[in-house]
Amino acid sequence: MRARIRTARKAMVLAAVASLGAGLLAGCADDGKDEESSSQGGNGGKTKITLGLFGSFGFEEAGLYAEYEKLHPDIDVQQTVIERNENYYPPLVNHLTTNSGLQDIQGIEVGNINEVANNYADKLVDLSKYGKESDYLPWKWQQATTKSGQTIGLGTDVGPMAICYRKDLFEAAGLPTDREEVGKLWAGDWTKLVEVGKRFKAKAPEGTTFLDSPGGLLNAIIGSEKERFYDASGKVIYKSNPAVKAAFDLTAEAGEEGLVGNQTQFQPAWDTTIANSKFAAMSCPPWMLGYIESKSKPENAGKWDVAAPPKAGNWGGSFLAVPKSGKNAEEAAKLAAWLTAPEQQAKLFSKRGSFPSAQAAYDLPLVTDAKNKMTGDAPIGQIFAPLAKESPIQVIGPKDQIIQQGLTDNGVVLVTQGKSPKEAWDNAVKTIDNNLEK
Amino acid sequence: MATRHDTAAAPPGKEGGAAPARPPVEAVPPEVAKKRARLSRRWQRDVRWSPYAFVSPFFLLFAAFGLFPLIYTAWASLHTVELTAPTDMEWAGLRNYTRIFDDDFYWNAAKNTLTIGIISTVPQLMMALGIAHILNYRLRASTFYRVAMLAPYATSIAAASLVFVLLFGRDYGMINWALDLVGIDRIDWQNEKWPSQIAVSSIVIWRWTGYNALIYLAAMQAIPQDLYESAALDGANRWQQFLHVTLPSLRPTILFTVVVSTIGASQLFGEPLLFDANKGASGGAQHQFQTLGLYMYEQGWVNQHLGRASAIAWTMFLILIVIGIVNYVISRRLRASS
Amino acid sequence: MTTTLTKPPADAEPKPPKRSRGLKAARAGGQMHAGPVAYLILAVFTVVSLFPLVWTAIAASRDNQRLAQTPPPFWFGSGLFDKLELAWTDANLGEAFLNTTIVAGVSALTIVFLSTIAGFAFAKLKFRGRGALMLIVIGTMMVPPQLQVIPLYMMVAKLDWTDQLQAVILPSLVSAFGVFFMRQYLLQALPDEIIEAARVDGANSWRVVWHVVFPTARPAMAVLGMLMFVQTWNDFLWPFLVLTQTGNPTVQVAVAGLGRGYTPDQSLIMAGALLGTLPLLLVFAIFGKQIVGGIMQGAVKG
Repeated sequence: MRARIRTARKAMVLAAVASLGAGLLAGCADDGKDEESSSQGGNGGKTKITLGLFGSFGFEEAGLYAEYEKLHPDIDVQQTVIERNENYYPPLVNHLTTNSGLQDIQGIEVGNINEVANNYADKLVDLSKYGKESDYLPWKWQQATTKSGQTIGLGTDVGPMAICYRKDLFEAAGLPTDREEVGKLWAGDWTKLVEVGKRFKAKAPEGTTFLDSPGGLLNAIIGSEKERFYDASGKVIYKSNPAVKAAFDLTAEAGEEGLVGNQTQFQPAWDTTIANSKFAAMSCPPWMLGYIESKSKPENAGKWDVAAPPKAGNWGGSFLAVPKSGKNAEEAAKLAAWLTAPEQQAKLFSKRGSFPSAQAAYDLPLVTDAKNKMTGDAPIGQIFAPLAKESPIQVIGPKDQIIQQGLTDNGVVLVTQGKSPKEAWDNAVKTIDNNLEK
Repeated sequence: MATRHDTAAAPPGKEGGAAPARPPVEAVPPEVAKKRARLSRRWQRDVRWSPYAFVSPFFLLFAAFGLFPLIYTAWASLHTVELTAPTDMEWAGLRNYTRIFDDDFYWNAAKNTLTIGIISTVPQLMMALGIAHILNYRLRASTFYRVAMLAPYATSIAAASLVFVLLFGRDYGMINWALDLVGIDRIDWQNEKWPSQIAVSSIVIWRWTGYNALIYLAAMQAIPQDLYESAALDGANRWQQFLHVTLPSLRPTILFTVVVSTIGASQLFGEPLLFDANKGASGGAQHQFQTLGLYMYEQGWVNQHLGRASAIAWTMFLILIVIGIVNYVISRRLRASS
Repeated sequence: MTTTLTKPPADAEPKPPKRSRGLKAARAGGQMHAGPVAYLILAVFTVVSLFPLVWTAIAASRDNQRLAQTPPPFWFGSGLFDKLELAWTDANLGEAFLNTTIVAGVSALTIVFLSTIAGFAFAKLKFRGRGALMLIVIGTMMVPPQLQVIPLYMMVAKLDWTDQLQAVILPSLVSAFGVFFMRQYLLQALPDEIIEAARVDGANSWRVVWHVVFPTARPAMAVLGMLMFVQTWNDFLWPFLVLTQTGNPTVQVAVAGLGRGYTPDQSLIMAGALLGTLPLLLVFAIFGKQIVGGIMQGAVKG
């Protein structure tokens, strides 16, 4: 009998647990609604504006939301962030296609801006009335403007590329170390950079290469070209574009000569080559200085410097877009314009290292006086500003990211692993074509 | 396994008073059956319909949340359709399927799926069985081991990927460092074909061995003690007890883990993705560890070709069906011949 | 006879002796003590299993510069608690824990309950269409889930469920794995005699489930509950689609933005990963105890 009672008690416990589960289920459905109604009516009648972002923006960290809320006491700014764009962008696409789950402001990476402009312009607010075109770099403004003249995104930051180099390693290899002189070594021509690499290699300290990775070099060369993967009509031309092939071949040559490290950028192994001083130079936008700093041993501070690249180019950067479906699209557009205005971009640069896309910011003290610890207090604001202005008005396409990734990660990196340049190119082309085919 | 009884013939119990326990319905004289039926209409209703009541929640939930996605992907696989406009379909017929025949990347991925599947699943299940057997002993701190066992399954992707990429690093990785100590040249774990597949498999093994061990352990708990006792009386040692008592008793559970692991291996995508998390989903520069699951993910989420990805998904489904049928036929033959 | 019976059936057939084992099931293997070799194997296995988790804590206690150096750190630095606190406040983890506990708890409990009754029906009850239905259940596992989320999101968008927890909970309840798992377990663990004995005793199907199936299935239910809890807790592809940090985030959604910046702060990411995992270990400890005990104690020892 005892057994039976015990079993019954167990059954009751199980039943209680199960009904608790059901209760929670019902309860949480209510929760959702409560939450929503309180967010509409609550917060003391404030208007809530939400931003959906990926990792690199840094508005909150720079205190910009707090500042805006102080200026506009009736506004409450909140953000939702996913660190990596690979995890952020596909959900954004899903949200845009269904026109649901969108935040009041959405961040968009430059690699995706063309695709968004092509597909979803009708779902996004025209921001040309909110931002002042003359404030921004012309090429940046153009990237987010559709053929019909709608500006779907306001530029946040850009990534003008320079060459960061190790003064100590250059010196050891008998190269000049002054940034003007170093810049002159390769001014105007990427092949000169590779020639300098050969000179470096002849007297290089043991275990070091000239550049960090094949991907970084290819990226830099292609970033300085006006036309690369698409032509102005939107046709894919990467295979037939001599500029792309030349960039690939030059990088492959550097790979065969052993001038670049056998690494893929942003992998942990690549990080350790920064920490262990395994290369002498790399193409670097301003944000890369922060990256170098965070991976370097403290004693390497001041050993770096920044020289002008062979040709000015851009790497990375983002935009803010405002979906029409938002409840407060008008207020959101104003906030987006404020966040990307020159003053705010200058603050963001001084606090987070994101270089302004608003050229009007380049004369502000926060930019002109900016210095960086890793580069021995080089005036990085003054070095990068002209490079940003010189960057070509680049033709971008919807699948730039896939093509570029194919050329580097499935292509030129193979040369450093002992494959011939032709094999590497074939592998890249095959991968890219397969990835592009619908 | 224990023979099943025809529960539909279960007696009416208390209501029916002293009813016979077990003869099947057909064997009961008609008038008795009639009487019983009258006495226990509720009972019979219960016996007939309760199985459906028990399985219906699954099917209702499936109809609500599983059916539409299945139909959608099946339909999408017959179209050219992009993630950027998933309702904008252009009829493609069987093109997404026929193109697979000369899609080198697909067959490369299929081969990788097979080899990684074998390298990872076989040792994983065997180790899990052994670990479960040990955990079934009387142990000190047994809860601790059970918790530790599931820790890999609970570790976040971000943490696991960082750790494993460091472990398998070519220049500074701990594994190469250890190999170096015993005089083996360092191995390029990410870029060479077999090393990379072994590395990915080791992540799979690490993540899922404890998981399977716990499943085995739960099943071992249900093996009656007296089977072991009588085996021990017959002079069986621990190993023989394991072979002749544990293994046969676990057959349904082993079947379960084999089926689930096979399905899991055929869909493997998380581990190869995280093994090279910065490079999209190509599974290495030469796709050397790209699995079908990863290839499908790449086509669908990275390249945004929903139609192609759906077709890949459905071929994976069909491959499993074929494996299932082959398996069924073989086991039938074996049973018939024995 | 030691079962839940109050009286034996009057004219029950004598049972074949080998089946009586099912009725007398005690804790299997319980009397065998583990030898030193067993402990050694377990120790190795535990170390390998726990190492990445421990290293996560080590990484969280160090700064980025140290993490990039070689050899990587093998012991804790001083920053662990600062980083954990920073991760906690930055990701607003309090609310996220509550949400995730609801999501994972409700999902796991419901899956365990539904899978047990369905698994029982498939394993031990006869009904028309059983084989075909079981094949459908297994078939649903064979279609890879990564694409299903896209049409599923269209549904959720139509239902206007974004940012609401039921959008995560309800789709997670379709668990063919659970049904299959419980079926296979009950095939082995639940002797038909016990069911019949209960039937004879006058129990209807629901009573059989409460009094016989649930007590028998307890270890398997605990394991299934653990696995489902972890799976739901760690899921991110789907939650990223339907939830945001400004509306009912789960832990994975909440920590997704940690360490953000052009230079991701690895150690902060690790701190978030660690915080996200710790509650799971707690759950394991609770459920782990559940599967220590023998399966039929309740039903058998009278």
